[in-house]
Amino acid sequence: MTAALRAKERPPGSPSVGPSPPRRRGRRSQGLAAHAFMSPWLIGLVLVTAAPMLASLYLSFTDYNIMSTPTFVGFDNFERMVGDERFWASTRVTSLYVLVSVPLQLVFALMLALVLDRGLRGLSIYRSAYYLPSLLGTSVAVAVLWKQIFGHDGLVNQALALIGIQGTNWLQNPDSALWTLIILNVWTFGSPMVIFLAGLRQIPEELYEAARVDGASQIRMFRHITIPLLTPIVFFNLILQTIGSFQAFTQAHVISGGTGGPVDSTLFYTLYIYQQAFVNFDMGYASALAWVLLLAIAVITALHFTLSKYWVFYGD
Amino acid sequence: MRHLSRRRLFMGAGAAAGAGALAACGGVGGGGGDSASNLRYAFWGNNVRQENYQEAFDLMAEGNEDLALKVEFAEYSAFQERMTTQMAAGNVSDIFWIPSAQVMTYYSNGLYRPLDGVESLDLSDYADADIQDFLLDGEHNTMPFGVFVPVIRYNATFVEEDGVDWPESWDWDAFAEFAKEYTAESEDRWGVAYAADADLPFEGWLRQRGEQLWSEGGRIGYTQEGLESWIAWWEDLREAGATPTIGEQDGVGASWEDVGDRCLAWFSNSNHIVDDATMFPDFEFALSHLPVDPSASDGHQFLYFPRQAIYAEASDANAELAGEVFNFTTGDVEMLKVVGLTMGAPVNPRVAEEYVEFASPAETAMLEVVSEDREADRSPRFEAPPGSSTWRTVMTRTLEEVTTGSSTISEAAAAMIEEINQGIDRAASGEEDA
Repeated sequence: MTAALRAKERPPGSPSVGPSPPRRRGRRSQGLAAHAFMSPWLIGLVLVTAAPMLASLYLSFTDYNIMSTPTFVGFDNFERMVGDERFWASTRVTSLYVLVSVPLQLVFALMLALVLDRGLRGLSIYRSAYYLPSLLGTSVAVAVLWKQIFGHDGLVNQALALIGIQGTNWLQNPDSALWTLIILNVWTFGSPMVIFLAGLRQIPEELYEAARVDGASQIRMFRHITIPLLTPIVFFNLILQTIGSFQAFTQAHVISGGTGGPVDSTLFYTLYIYQQAFVNFDMGYASALAWVLLLAIAVITALHFTLSKYWVFYGD
Repeated sequence: MRHLSRRRLFMGAGAAAGAGALAACGGVGGGGGDSASNLRYAFWGNNVRQENYQEAFDLMAEGNEDLALKVEFAEYSAFQERMTTQMAAGNVSDIFWIPSAQVMTYYSNGLYRPLDGVESLDLSDYADADIQDFLLDGEHNTMPFGVFVPVIRYNATFVEEDGVDWPESWDWDAFAEFAKEYTAESEDRWGVAYAADADLPFEGWLRQRGEQLWSEGGRIGYTQEGLESWIAWWEDLREAGATPTIGEQDGVGASWEDVGDRCLAWFSNSNHIVDDATMFPDFEFALSHLPVDPSASDGHQFLYFPRQAIYAEASDANAELAGEVFNFTTGDVEMLKVVGLTMGAPVNPRVAEEYVEFASPAETAMLEVVSEDREADRSPRFEAPPGSSTWRTVMTRTLEEVTTGSSTISEAAAAMIEEINQGIDRAASGEEDA
């Protein structure tokens, strides 16, 4: 007789006495096993993520130069941001970067995904080739490569010279430096492209067939079938790329030599945090800056989710 | 096959994880370990320097097994990042090089162990005046391991090819006129690279005008007029076309790689010739002193020392071993025969003399120019105070604003001084609170 049947035979409310039934023991040991297998992740979450975040939250209310004891200063660090010109400069740079590069990257990725979805021969090769920049895109090597492309004697200027145009050093010009980094970000379209491609493959072919029977053009099918059914994927990519772009750091660090120059034109917010923490040793202020960034990302993400009900179509 | 129960599996995994964690702790090691093999040495540079220093340290260990070092090496920026995290964790290397802008910041935070009590440290080669030069705030707590002076490096091959008369000495105006004329007469060469961000030449300019980079009291040692005059001198050259454009030289800090083979003169530190000359082996390079203002005050020459220190929390045993490492790195010509003079002329006068016969032409030029400044009377110089560690970045931004026309020289200079002062004030108030 199984433990379950024995339990059924027991009168309601009667106390459980005697040794644990084998099934309950089994569940308990399964629970222990689950916890044991989860423990590395849990330990990592607590020690590597949660604890440093809490420490950072505390430090954001202190004056802390790393070597001495933190001194509690209340909201001083947050008030300091209001009058900090470089804080506002970094906010402007980062906002422009996110506002321009994320939509551009998503449009570019979607276009390429649509092309690749047409059943090209050697699709996997194209897919890998287009994904490659995403693997290298934020690495030091590509940032150095970018310097060679947009430098004074770089490839872009050599190409312009062929048509009689003398280019500038795009990375040393405050008006163009950020745009080269935006191009770099757009170039790393591989990750959203692969996700778009997967989303396109999920759209039922019958819908297109029915539309064709009704005489719908390619554009109408794209507008009334592809786009609506792809909106969850667009939304997913939008969230990921927005958060990632707010955290952009490596490109600007390498290309500007860590300064955010010229004239703070590539001073990304994360670069400013880095400068405060590791160059100025102002860890309290850097922590406050980091928390403001976290809150900004949280608010923008929440806004995305709120607005998503107006344009994301889940088909239910 | 023996059955492995879940309990045994978990126990085994736990034991392995624990052993791994303990092994990791042992591997990292603390700053104050007593074992000789735990003596850690942190420094910066490129891969060539790393390989050379490792070879030299291996040589040192052959003579004394107790001096086997654990080397912690990184590129300059990464080195400072690692130092920051190590300081926060109280896990700094026993011996470490000190970035120039952090000398007094580290000092004010008690990172240095006083060297007076390190009996193994041999200072018998140094005169009292030398030791006085080494002191910080009256304490002997760091050990210089090189000497830099500000110089004009010039391309001796160009001088010969273009039939230029390079004088023994000149004033700033004469040099500027020469650079303009040279550029005008040359088809594809400039008189000088734009180098308003070069810190030692800037300091030399200030000292010739009776000002200082930093004051004894830990403040900015120059006036707004002093800073403006320096920027204006360079702007005059740049606007006259005597320097490459900022774009051509890839920033206000000229890239040697990009325009080093097209500029006759280059304002820099004396030691840079050693590495930079290797990039263009077809050319010969030479050094001369900075131009001298006719009204330059006596004692304007100065020496800059790259410094190393023993961590304050290092054990007594490790401090004594560190003293022996200092003896090797500063007092043994065998060390320099391996690593060369990339970190400047030898600080030890005996070693400087001994090394002459092994010096390359570039090193010989450097030794001569440093030796001349070393023999000159010098008024005291002071290190960058706490809170000023970003002053060079601020200066770069200031120069970018001027060269792009975003600010006038006067506005940019005032803003630079204000920003640096804010950092110093903030550090000072932090110290008071602590």
